[in-house]
Amino acid sequence: MAAFITVSKRPILGLPFLLPSCDSVSLELRRSQSSYRRTKQRLRVKPDASFGLSSDKTQDHIIYNPPSSSPSVYHTPTKFLPSDDIRRSLRTDTTADHLNTEGLPSVLKSPLGKKYHLGPSDITEIRKLRLGDPITWSRSKLAKRFDCSPTFVAMVCEAGPQKKEIQKQVLEAVQSRWGAKRRMAREDRKLRKETWGRDE
Amino acid sequence: MKRLQLQRWSSSALSSRARTGGRLQRHLYSSNRFQSTNPTPLQSEADQSFAEEPSIPSTTTPSPKFTKYQLPSPPIQAARESAKLAALHARLYLPSRLPLETLARCLVDPSADSNSQFNNVPLAVLGHDLLTHYTSEHLICTYPRLPLTVIFAAMFAYAGPKTLMAMAREWGLEHAAAPGGEVDPGFLQFKRVAPGTDTNAEPLIGTTRPNEDQKTWRKSITSSVVYDNEFGDPDMAGVPSSESSESAIQTQYTEGVTVEQASASFVRALMGAIYLHAGRPAAKRFFEQHILSRHLEIANLFSFNQPARDLSRLCARENYEPPVAKIISETGRKSRHPVFVVGIFSGQDKLGESVGASLAEARTRAAVAALKGWYLYSPLNVRVPSSMEEKGAAPWKPVYVDLGEVIV
Repeated sequence: MAAFITVSKRPILGLPFLLPSCDSVSLELRRSQSSYRRTKQRLRVKPDASFGLSSDKTQDHIIYNPPSSSPSVYHTPTKFLPSDDIRRSLRTDTTADHLNTEGLPSVLKSPLGKKYHLGPSDITEIRKLRLGDPITWSRSKLAKRFDCSPTFVAMVCEAGPQKKEIQKQVLEAVQSRWGAKRRMAREDRKLRKETWGRDE
Repeated sequence: MKRLQLQRWSSSALSSRARTGGRLQRHLYSSNRFQSTNPTPLQSEADQSFAEEPSIPSTTTPSPKFTKYQLPSPPIQAARESAKLAALHARLYLPSRLPLETLARCLVDPSADSNSQFNNVPLAVLGHDLLTHYTSEHLICTYPRLPLTVIFAAMFAYAGPKTLMAMAREWGLEHAAAPGGEVDPGFLQFKRVAPGTDTNAEPLIGTTRPNEDQKTWRKSITSSVVYDNEFGDPDMAGVPSSESSESAIQTQYTEGVTVEQASASFVRALMGAIYLHAGRPAAKRFFEQHILSRHLEIANLFSFNQPARDLSRLCARENYEPPVAKIISETGRKSRHPVFVVGIFSGQDKLGESVGASLAEARTRAAVAALKGWYLYSPLNVRVPSSMEEKGAAPWKPVYVDLGEVIV
């Protein structure tokens, strides 16, 4: 920091944060004063460990420091290789990316687990309830009662024609209130989701 | 095993007019030359006599039955005089056993000359079969797990008419404005479609698929193997010639063809001509140099609707642990531009990894990467069945055959 103060040619009163009395908080808020020397100093980063010679190896070695990017899809994961493929034995322990899979957080909040706890009697019950009173017994309510997912309810039974008609009208009423911006944003979102599957 | 001498039994595809090297024809030429007092070479006799005929009624040169202007396509004698044709032959580095006359015949589309003894239809049929055969065996042996839709798309990308047209354009092939006997045989001879014609106007009739008039019926991709052509498109040529009337074919040709169709049939005919004149190794080399050398990114042909579901079905089928998406690293979760790196794991093994601006996006993309990793598996030291036709080939080892794509 001492060098920083001496380099400044501007009157010291115009830069109150350079005064010795200023505390650390005001020092963080100062404008950055770029100079050639300071820029060079900041760019002088420590090289990657693989660049230099390691202590135990005195001979030349190959520097392998690939840029960070997604792995190539043409590089078949070891698990997907057929049992008689020679690459399966070559890749046993040489691959570097040993991730501690237990320590990584899951993407989904609740752990995905299938219970398979519903029997045929429960499924007939779900169908009866949904067809009998579709307004009360919606998919989410049925899912909550039978402790399954709404997707499972949809797989098991379909809503009645009246309920479908009502739902369609509700959707139309909601969509009629959308302006151009919201409609376009929703369309864009749908198009963007389609690009995920095409990997664009 | 001795190599087959293809030229001997290839006369069905090559008309007598095209085989100028024949002993009988050479004999006829030389006798004509002795009789004639005209010192010009015989090949230019036709146009010379046409030019001179009104002024000098010559008795020595027999007056030709047809003038060049009456012929639908250039006469075979003109092939030796065309600089364009010779240049095309040299530019493509074609084998010297392929004569210029056959190259000239490859350039005559059936829309210009409906006589199959003079147009390129027989050669194009053979060439199309060779091209699609070599392409499909290359694709299936190199990527044994590809889904059928991707195979069809890749076939179209390698040997489809659009690619063949691009190749012909890159070769510097020029098109004749209108076909005729007086045109330089180095031009592609075809009758053009009248401007403003809607090519997709009429419904497809005469395909090999049963119940083709039912528009609402589902067409499964597996049925395309049986009923459709090599690219998964409706197959028109599969109808036996006895059923399709000759007049329908005639009207189709007289209406004209597009540049794309004419260029594609030229490239196919050239492939067939190389096969007939120079043999199988030369045809294979031509295919590798001009078709397989084109770069195709097969990974970009995929399109998944529900990759996460497909992947979980795949893992269930192959008895792997169910796939779990986990966050490998992330930055800026609460900011405007967050980046998440999500990997999909099955037990301890990572199946795929990708980046996304949201957790859902990164998870979907990682599932896509895992599925592509499965489908784009390629064995080492790939050999195709047609490599066994070479002399002294190593004993055949069965190629890897996969169960098939994931069906949900």
